[in-house]
Amino acid sequence: MNEARPLPAPDEVTRPFWSACAEHRLCFQQCRACGYRWLPASVVCPRCWAGECDWVPSEGEGTVFSLAVYHRAYHPAFQALLPYVVAVIELAEGPRLVSNLVGVQPQDVSVGMAVRLEFLDLDDRALPLFRPRTRGG
Amino acid sequence: MRTQTSAACIAGVGHTAVAARLGRSAWELQADAVVQAVADAGLRPCDVDGLLTEPGYSQGVIEGVTPHFLRLGAMLGLDPRFTGSEVLGGASAVAMVQRAAMAVANGLCEVCVCVYGDAPSQAPGVWGYSRGDGAAFGFFGAPGIHALAAARHMALYGTRPEQLGEIAVTFRHHARLTPHAQQRAPMTLEDYLASPYVVEPLRVLDCCQISDAGAAVVITSRERARDLKHPPVAIAGFSQAHCLTSLVNDDYLTTLPARRAAPEAFAMAGVTPGDVDLAELYDCFTIVVLLQLEDYGFCKKGEGGGFVDNGGLALTGRLPTNTAGGLLSEGFGGGMLHIVEAVRQLRGECGLRQVREAEVALVSGYGLGMNTHATVILTRG
Ligand SMILES: [Zn+2]
Repeated sequence: MNEARPLPAPDEVTRPFWSACAEHRLCFQQCRACGYRWLPASVVCPRCWAGECDWVPSEGEGTVFSLAVYHRAYHPAFQALLPYVVAVIELAEGPRLVSNLVGVQPQDVSVGMAVRLEFLDLDDRALPLFRPRTRGG
Repeated sequence: MRTQTSAACIAGVGHTAVAARLGRSAWELQADAVVQAVADAGLRPCDVDGLLTEPGYSQGVIEGVTPHFLRLGAMLGLDPRFTGSEVLGGASAVAMVQRAAMAVANGLCEVCVCVYGDAPSQAPGVWGYSRGDGAAFGFFGAPGIHALAAARHMALYGTRPEQLGEIAVTFRHHARLTPHAQQRAPMTLEDYLASPYVVEPLRVLDCCQISDAGAAVVITSRERARDLKHPPVAIAGFSQAHCLTSLVNDDYLTTLPARRAAPEAFAMAGVTPGDVDLAELYDCFTIVVLLQLEDYGFCKKGEGGGFVDNGGLALTGRLPTNTAGGLLSEGFGGGMLHIVEAVRQLRGECGLRQVREAEVALVSGYGLGMNTHATVILTRG
């Protein structure tokens, strides 16, 4: 890669998410009042508006909710990765997030496919990515 | 059939040329569209007491925090009773018509101009945006989220690429009958299938034009419209629905907020989907048309592919749609050109592309990556 990937820019709302990722934990928020779990980060429970919630680490298992295969690089850092897969992943715990699928040819990915979390380290940050689960793995 | 109509109607429409590059600023395009729409209504500048604007996309970057309506209004010499700018993305044009109709109906103003205009050729690069931390995953541009939508619809319902292609080819045919359309070259399904992927499963020909263009409409009361140049087009029903949470919903990517907006607009107009003679559906990407056909109840969820097959959206098809070519081929008019075209169809001014006996038109606006939606149902007279 000639140019570095754009790094996530944590703000006061998303900082706990990215700090946990840097320690290789993918966390979602869970409401202490109603138990609802969600991503992306919020300052209140999006369901009951309670203010008290916890950051809970995911087990890292999920499925592909949908996927898109980029054949065009909108940023030079992604030129060498073409074609690459952007996917909406549904975690086993419920919350969904946008991520990349790695370690698989785009034509072998399908909606509903089981995937497993891994991390890509970038400087002092880490990106949560997903890889198809191997049989029995 | 119709039980009620709103107190407001559309009395004038106007637009500039539509092209990839016009060499005019967004301000010039907006002002030109306003001048033409007011002239089309047979009104004078001093009659205008309402101004609603949509800044477009490139100008937001240029102008920073200056309210758009303020600068445009100053240039037009207006001190209106009612004004504002709409920032609902592609839903803004329809939303402005609604705001204007409510203002006119409640006496806040009598003649309200709604205008869109943009000159993206003067601000290249603004379309490759990402939102939040999406850029870290290479999740850029409007095609990305719509490719996610298309892939899920294909996986759940067996929708085929050829069916998206049918939409693009049909709209191109309509654009060929539209003198001001940006893309008038013939297009076949083979051309569609040979066009390269941008973000798979979406190809170049699934994506709308990027255009320099301005378009405006004039909203006034039925009473005031009676003596004007053209027979008024009634704003018979309208509604909005938005999905600000998106990612968390069960039907994320395959159902638009159109599904929630539709029943209210139909009820207000006193019509059903079966009464609609033509539709002007926001079509930034082919898949968005297919989803809306389902969400408005023209067919069941998952059956949009079958609905568009075999010329379903053609001028003589099941539902003549985007009769001037839409964003895909007429060019990007921010959704305002969709309203202009619906008005012209209901006036019977469309020549070779005229839908016969057009009395009821549905126009939609949709924006910001599946978040916003606005609907208006227009009727003749
Ligand atoms: Zn809660």
